[in-house]
Amino acid sequence: MVEKQLTRERSSSWSWILQAFTGVMLVVLLGLHMVVQHFVVKGGLRNYQQVAEYLSNPFVFLLEVAFLIIVTWHALLGVRAVLFDLGLKPATERNWTAALTVIGLIMIAYGIWLSVTIVSQGRV
Amino acid sequence: MSTEVEPKPVQRKPLEWFNLKGKRVGFWAYVVMRLSAAGLVLYLFLHLVILSQLAVGPAAWDNFVAIAKAPAFLLLDVVLIIGILAHGLNGIRLALIGFGIGVPRQKMMLWIGLVLTIVFSLLSALAIFAETK
Repeated sequence: MVEKQLTRERSSSWSWILQAFTGVMLVVLLGLHMVVQHFVVKGGLRNYQQVAEYLSNPFVFLLEVAFLIIVTWHALLGVRAVLFDLGLKPATERNWTAALTVIGLIMIAYGIWLSVTIVSQGRV
Repeated sequence: MSTEVEPKPVQRKPLEWFNLKGKRVGFWAYVVMRLSAAGLVLYLFLHLVILSQLAVGPAAWDNFVAIAKAPAFLLLDVVLIIGILAHGLNGIRLALIGFGIGVPRQKMMLWIGLVLTIVFSLLSALAIFAETK
C-alpha cells in the first residue's frame, strides 16, 4: 500500500483553491501587464508622461487595478501558507490571517491611490 | 487491501526547504516554488515602494528610470523574469495536478516547465540587453 503524502499546496483546502485560481488569473494579468508596459508603445513606457497617458486609458487603469488586487491576494496567501507550515496554534493562525488581510487591503488602497494620483497629475 | 487513507498535508518549516537529502525531483520543484515565491513577494513590495516616485513627480520618476537602465539593474530584471517563469510555469503544473488533470504526466510537465523557463529566460535576456546597444 502506497501511502500518499501531499504537501500543503496540494491539500484541498479553500486557501489552496484560491491560490490556484488567483495563480491562473495572474498568468493572464501579468502577461497583459508586461505587454502593455513594454510592447504597446515602441521601446516600452519610459518617462513620466508616457506612464500618465497610459494609465489614463480606462481599460488599462482597470487592468492594473485588477492585477494589483489579484497579485496582492496571491502573494499574501503564499506568505500565509509558509507561516502556517510553522505549525502555529489556531489562535495565532487567525491573528496572522487578520494581519495579512489588513496588510493586503493597505497595499491595494495604496496602489489605487497611486494610480488615481498619477492620472490626475498627468492631466495637469 | 484498499483502505482509503486521508492524505495529511505535510508541514515543512523554511529550514526544511534546504534539506535535499534523499528527496525526489518533485521536492526540488517545491523548493524552487517557495524560494521564487519569497523573491517575488520581496519584489512586489519593492515595486510598489519604488512606484511612489511617480506620485513625487516627473523628475523623481525619470531619475529612477535612468538608474533602472544600468546594466547591473537589467541583470536583476533577468533574475526577476527567471523567477516569474519558474514560479508561473510550475504553478500551472500544480494547478492542473490539483484539479486532477494530467496527474500521470506530472513529471513530464515539470521538465517542459523547466525547458520553457530556460528558453524564455534566454530570449528575454537577449531582448533586454539588445536595447542597451
